[in-house]
Amino acid sequence: MLKKLSVLAFVLVLAVSSLVAAPSAEKPAKATELRFIDVSPSPTRQEYFTKTFDKFKQETGITVVYESVPWDDAANKLTVLGASNQLPDVMTTWAGWLGQFTEAKWIVPLNEYIGTTTDEYAKTVTQLVWKSEKELYGNIYTIPDGMMVKGVFVRKDWAKDAGLKLDPKKGWTYKDYFDAVYKLTDSSKNHYGTSFRGSRGAFDPLFVYLESFNGGAAYSADGSALFDSSESLEAYKRWNGLYLDGAAPKDAINWGFVEMVSNFTGGLTGTLINDSEVAATCIENMTAAQWTVMPMPRSDKDGKIYNTVNSPYAYSISASSKNKDASWKLIQFLTRPDNNIEYCKLTGLIPIKTAVGNDPFYGPNGPYATFVQQLNDPAMVVPCAFGPFNYTDMHQGTMHEEMQKYLLGKQDAATSLANVSNELEKRMKEYLAANPGSAVEKPKGLF
Amino acid sequence: MGILALYLIGIAALCGAGVFYISRHFRRQNSSVMSHIQRRKREPYLFLFPTLLLLVLMFAYPLINSSIMAFQYYKLTAPDKVYFNGLDNFRKLFADSDVWLIIRNSLLYVVASVAGQFVLGLTLALTLKKPFPLKGLYHAIVFLPWAFSAFVIGLIQRWSFNGEYGVINNLLMKLNMISEKVAWLGTPGLSLFVVIIAMIWMGVPFFAIMILAAMQSIPADVYEASYIDGCGPLRRFFRITFPYIQPTIIVTVLLRTIWIFNSFDLIVVITNGGPANYSQTLPSYMYTKAFSGYDFGLASSLGVMLMAVLVVYVTLFLRVTQYNKAGDF
Repeated sequence: MLKKLSVLAFVLVLAVSSLVAAPSAEKPAKATELRFIDVSPSPTRQEYFTKTFDKFKQETGITVVYESVPWDDAANKLTVLGASNQLPDVMTTWAGWLGQFTEAKWIVPLNEYIGTTTDEYAKTVTQLVWKSEKELYGNIYTIPDGMMVKGVFVRKDWAKDAGLKLDPKKGWTYKDYFDAVYKLTDSSKNHYGTSFRGSRGAFDPLFVYLESFNGGAAYSADGSALFDSSESLEAYKRWNGLYLDGAAPKDAINWGFVEMVSNFTGGLTGTLINDSEVAATCIENMTAAQWTVMPMPRSDKDGKIYNTVNSPYAYSISASSKNKDASWKLIQFLTRPDNNIEYCKLTGLIPIKTAVGNDPFYGPNGPYATFVQQLNDPAMVVPCAFGPFNYTDMHQGTMHEEMQKYLLGKQDAATSLANVSNELEKRMKEYLAANPGSAVEKPKGLF
Repeated sequence: MGILALYLIGIAALCGAGVFYISRHFRRQNSSVMSHIQRRKREPYLFLFPTLLLLVLMFAYPLINSSIMAFQYYKLTAPDKVYFNGLDNFRKLFADSDVWLIIRNSLLYVVASVAGQFVLGLTLALTLKKPFPLKGLYHAIVFLPWAFSAFVIGLIQRWSFNGEYGVINNLLMKLNMISEKVAWLGTPGLSLFVVIIAMIWMGVPFFAIMILAAMQSIPADVYEASYIDGCGPLRRFFRITFPYIQPTIIVTVLLRTIWIFNSFDLIVVITNGGPANYSQTLPSYMYTKAFSGYDFGLASSLGVMLMAVLVVYVTLFLRVTQYNKAGDF
């Protein structure tokens, strides 16, 4: 019995050793294989990517393995993969993560790959996205998958009933927008004027509104935040007043992107400030008579449209990739005009290449007319971002928590705004001190 | 692949060591050098050895590592900047203006959930003790929540308590118990209450199963004697049933307290700690710090604090309840 046990143990050890040794044995050369991760998966996107990767394999012989992670878990998953040096070769990346990713050196600069091909890209890419990346992080790190710009989605039928005359071509001011939200609120019909964002990301549209009183700037040259004026405080109160005055459901204090969109398309709210990508959801779930898009309101102070223009999930190459050239080939393929326009139509974005021409889908009678119109408006200015430093923790916590405390009456507006503003200022000044020669970002225009 | 190889080698070495040790033990059993008493003394350790080794591998390393990280500046986003920072993480933790709110929430969450589960679980067990038609089917239905994942229960609760479309508001309005919709998940106090309801609902079956099993082991002749002596139901419960099931109750309360104190899944799914941290407990806050700010140093300091609190609780609880003497007749 004992002998049998000893022999069994010996065989087990041998079997395991051979298993372990097997991978180190010489293997035949394998064809190039890339890993690609999508951070905003949906059946439509997955179908597009797998189909395009098949085409890519036929043309180049390079296999691409599709991976995905739901948006809500994406930041965590990529962070864990980055920290363990296991990021996929090509990733779809949100602009808000770039501070963190570049600080940790998880992605590589693409300047050399782009080389002299900048003319192929639309002005929104070269003059906004890349200019901003160069200013903030010193290099170009992403190739946009498409461009998106914000607009105000409005219930057309409710607006008509409320006697509102909305003309997308004429536009409106923030005063008009606030008036419209209150007019669209009708508790007897269970109608609320706005899809108020109270949770993660709540500070994003509010930040732009606050910047609209500072010419699109967030900091002075020495890094001091510009939100300590009475004008900023009044603006802060006015914005949050929409919730406090009952123009949004009480539950909206917990709303993020999903709840905002589903409650607009579901018929609970009358307006929604969001990116052009939401148009695809509206087309799918609402009739043409039910919704329209107004441009972002003009500043009550200087009449300009302050609006963010960015790429939702830009492509980037991880520093841990062993096939960087093949990864670049894949990005080039994904952004080739024919593939890019197909992708943009599917996902509700505006193409990034000039070669796509004047596709009627993006013309004056298409569903994206208001968004394209804003990009062609000389009055449009892209305001500054939160900063070049890592603000992920603030974006996922402090910013909306401070706002929530004010909404719940647990602290006053001035304290709430100051807590966020002071923390941003502290980080900005630390960044400037740690990076000699760096400067505060300036608002940008396309013209 | 390298990690997998190491893991396999570890397991193989473990198996080999175990077999070697057992064979040595049997060999020695035959020798007359070691006394019978000595062998009997060693035997339990011998059989515990593989489990202990696995526990050391799976728990001791993370435990020691997180204890070290509690005293380090350790941000996942800055892996090149890890250094010891003394008690900074603990200072930062207690400097957070919300920490006392979170500690209060944690205590309320644990006490209310354990008490609710215990009372309802005991009631359910007493009900199920006696036979009645379709008892088996009833058993299966009431024990179902224990089989559900916290994620599913969380989603059910989140939708049920939705301020606009939720079935709870609808029901309460139809019963004229409320005149306006209540924002359950958006109101401080109520959001934690919703999580507590979910936790109670999920944990009642566990209490009921444990207590019912303990009740079924009570000798029938003790009850027969009580009937003959004319003992009333209340007295029978407090003099016979309760003393018999007391050890089970102590262990179950202890286990559930630890599990509930450590759980954060329901909170993350239902409220994500909101609004403004009013339904945040220490473990969910730790999760938020670890995976929102990626501050693993701060999260580890919270983890160490949690561990210390639980050790103190377990020691005190076992002493106060006199667990060693419970069930002695």
